[in-house]
Amino acid sequence: MSAESLILFFIVGAFLVGVAVLFSSYVPPKSSNPQKFEPYECGIPTEGLTWLQFNVGYYMFSIIYLVFDVETIFLFPWAEVMKETGMRGFIEIVIFFFILGVGLLYAWKKGALKWE
Amino acid sequence: MGYSRYDFTPLLHSIDQWLYSVMSPAWALIVELTLIGLAFLIFYALVGLFLVYAERKVCGFIQNRVGPNRVGKYGIFQTIADFIKLLMKELIGTKDADKLLYNIAPYIVIICSFMAIGAIPFAQGLLAIDFDIGILYIISVSSLSVIGVLLAGWSSNSKYPLIGAMRSGAQIISYELSVGLSLLTIIVLAGTMQFSKIVMAQENGWFIFKGHIPAIIAFILYVIASTAETNRGPFDLAEAESELTAGYHTEYSGIKFAFFYLAEYMNMFIVASIAATVFLGGWMPLHIPAWNGFNVVMDYIPPVIWYFMKTAFVIYIIMLFKWTFPRLRIDHLLTLEWKYLLPINLVNILFMALIVLLGWHF
Amino acid sequence: MTNYQFMFFLLSAIIIIFSILTVTTRRILRAATFLLFVLVATAGLYFMLRFNFLAAIQLTLYAGGIVVLIIFSVLLTSHISQKLEKASISKRILAAIAAIAGAVLCIITILATEFPTVTPNPPETDIHTIGQALLSTDKFGYSLPFEVISILLLAAMIGSIIIAKKRKD
Repeated sequence: MSAESLILFFIVGAFLVGVAVLFSSYVPPKSSNPQKFEPYECGIPTEGLTWLQFNVGYYMFSIIYLVFDVETIFLFPWAEVMKETGMRGFIEIVIFFFILGVGLLYAWKKGALKWE
Repeated sequence: MGYSRYDFTPLLHSIDQWLYSVMSPAWALIVELTLIGLAFLIFYALVGLFLVYAERKVCGFIQNRVGPNRVGKYGIFQTIADFIKLLMKELIGTKDADKLLYNIAPYIVIICSFMAIGAIPFAQGLLAIDFDIGILYIISVSSLSVIGVLLAGWSSNSKYPLIGAMRSGAQIISYELSVGLSLLTIIVLAGTMQFSKIVMAQENGWFIFKGHIPAIIAFILYVIASTAETNRGPFDLAEAESELTAGYHTEYSGIKFAFFYLAEYMNMFIVASIAATVFLGGWMPLHIPAWNGFNVVMDYIPPVIWYFMKTAFVIYIIMLFKWTFPRLRIDHLLTLEWKYLLPINLVNILFMALIVLLGWHF
Repeated sequence: MTNYQFMFFLLSAIIIIFSILTVTTRRILRAATFLLFVLVATAGLYFMLRFNFLAAIQLTLYAGGIVVLIIFSVLLTSHISQKLEKASISKRILAAIAAIAGAVLCIITILATEFPTVTPNPPETDIHTIGQALLSTDKFGYSLPFEVISILLLAAMIGSIIIAKKRKD
């Protein structure tokens, strides 16, 4: 049942957008004017290329995010059984956190968490 | 317990039985799925319309204004009128835009919020998807919507949307970590991720009371991080209207713009629902151990009402944030996440693990 | 044809079509989007097999993490808007030979392997079992790999920071 309902929710979401967009692209009145298709930005005609090179900071944060995301994923099964495993689970996670804390500290000291 | 008198399982079960008795199994399944789909579609649209109205009323209340009051009594039909207006607007795009990605982006954000909403428990027996990884499922599905935002900004062929999309991408992925980790704190306490079991485990006290200090810290962290993850003020740099016009959906018009707007509100509803379910007991009425009379009275209030009251409470907090605090700058925003929320979260999880280990929770 | 088979064929068709589109499109961001669809459909297959945890990992890490990383790194490069150039004939022939050789190898391996038959609606591999196995110190426990992963992640983080910092200088 669960996998079917996933596909169901997918289809219903797509249906909602699809029907509304289809309606909107045929029913409302239309007019054509070359000015209409200019990028809006702030109201002044746009200058130069849009797709420029971006700040390295975004890349930096997405890489650190990925590392921590992997870590979080491994924490989920641990959290599920923490109550039963008791002391053993606690010690294992303290070691795990210690090593990752070193990583976070390294990123901090290296200035990777600073926006520039 | 008293609240089981409002259990939806027998009702849904008998509908299921009846459908299978009238028609062949394949048709019964199709009819059932269509009914579920329709129900969620209507629910989704209604909640979206109501939240936009609520936002404007709350905003009006805080700024000492009336808010919408012309269309219908107290302006309750205002958002429906807005919706019809947006539906009747011509769809225009920018020239030289990447047409394919430009058109796909609204689908991605809407489908992501739709798939997340299916896993929320509204009442006993009233949830569509009940995985054993419930919380992780919602986190993973809602983590996809950032791609819709990035594609929308990039494909518009306009500079402001691109800047807005990049900012919001960096913001969403950063704060997703804190959302996951603060929910993890409660999973440690609950020992399960399945939504139905999480709610049942709060029968004799909500987790925010059971886990006391670390649970309260986790709740505060969750509300801050989820406000940021849904791109709402004071973290709405992505659409800082004074600098970026409207952020990543500047170049969208008519109903496509409305879908980004709707998805934003539905994401707020989803994070508020998770907060209500995980920290505040979901549909479970307020029970205080040993106060039997009180518990019996509380059980008479239907779980659906409990659920919506708690969700509305969290939504109200999130809305208050938006109209109270000034907008953050991007470096402050990232510093807040990486240098404050994340380390606090990690320590808080260890703290909660220690409390679970020593049995100091209730 | 049962529902199960129908869903399997649907997801497989999505994976195949979008995989081909990913490598044939000339715009790099479109390729990333098609890759996203492939990854999500793969997660759908995992859900069908009731490997819910694996499916969630697929969605969070691959679709939500790596695709975002790809998009950010694409935007980091200049000349994003340019379409990719078509490869020369000699390159194409070599690539075709490599691809066909790889495909033949895969097909031979697949045909030679005896796959255990999968019943529809297999039992769920629940996260509880995974958690117990991950933390157990018994013979088939994974507690040592669990700790080693953290060291691996530490190494990955240090490496990525050094590379990204170097690029900027």
